[in-house]
Amino acid sequence: MILRLQPVQVATGSYDVDGQLVFADGFLAAVLVKLSGYHEDMAGMWFLEAGFGWVDTPNRPTFTDLDTAQAWIVQQLADAA
Amino acid sequence: MSSAPDNHAMNCLIRKLESIAPLSDRSRQAIESLPVRIHKLDARRDIVRDGDKPTHCCLIIDGWACRYKLLSQGKRQILSFHIPGDIPDLQSLHTHTMDHSLGTMTEATVAFIPHENLRELTARHPGLAAIFWRDTLIDAGIFRAWLVSMGRRSAFEHVAHLFCELYLKLQAVGLAGNYRCPLPITQADLADALGLTPVHINRVLQEMRGKTLITLRSSTLVIEAWSELLRVSEFDPTYLHLEKRATG
Repeated sequence: MILRLQPVQVATGSYDVDGQLVFADGFLAAVLVKLSGYHEDMAGMWFLEAGFGWVDTPNRPTFTDLDTAQAWIVQQLADAA
Repeated sequence: MSSAPDNHAMNCLIRKLESIAPLSDRSRQAIESLPVRIHKLDARRDIVRDGDKPTHCCLIIDGWACRYKLLSQGKRQILSFHIPGDIPDLQSLHTHTMDHSLGTMTEATVAFIPHENLRELTARHPGLAAIFWRDTLIDAGIFRAWLVSMGRRSAFEHVAHLFCELYLKLQAVGLAGNYRCPLPITQADLADALGLTPVHINRVLQEMRGKTLITLRSSTLVIEAWSELLRVSEFDPTYLHLEKRATG
């Protein structure tokens, strides 16, 4: 499973705009957004703003960094297989 | 047996019941004579658990509680919030097994009332039986409102709707006024109640503060723009059945 990240600005309607498109084998699997300072304890964490297919879980996790986020996404896709 | 009548405990139940319908003196005295066991509980403690078959009902005297359902992987849905005067597990009198859990959100003082005493009370006082029935129906109406919010309101509208509901419920039992009310709920609790994430809750609160709709600090909610909050959430208080009280 190869994941590729592409930086993107996301119109979340909040101060959280720095994002990454996450492609899995060429398909868009998720959109991650970095949480701004407003989120205090969670500031700087990456949030699963959107997920597609097996990455579209009702619970939207936050991750300490992009590596952890990618590992989680890979796991979701592996569970589906 | 340490059960005994307790006036203070029963006063808060009486106040709650009177917000639903008038009580006769005889009914009031009967409630005041109910034997109860008072307990002080820590925050975030279960009162009754999913699957339990309780023999008492729990009246909240002080503090907040919530009904919730726990699924695998720690996924929690808060089903309702409860404040002093509420008996959130009244249904256990007639549906014997709990299908959800009830727990404290803050430190709380609760009174346990034995089922047999409540059954006797409602058998001897049909007026009280009717009020408990009405309370259960209002409870169901609140679930319907939550269902609509969960399914069809945006995160912003949903939070606004909940704030309006909580303010009016607290005001009805004398725990809020002047557009201020206690709100000892964390953002994680709000998220679990509204089917949103703490991130969305954070964003909504930020937006509400930015628009000077609310101030939320130190577990106190101040509603700065009541009419606007009502308008945005399309709030219709009918489901709370507080006809006896004026809003505001």
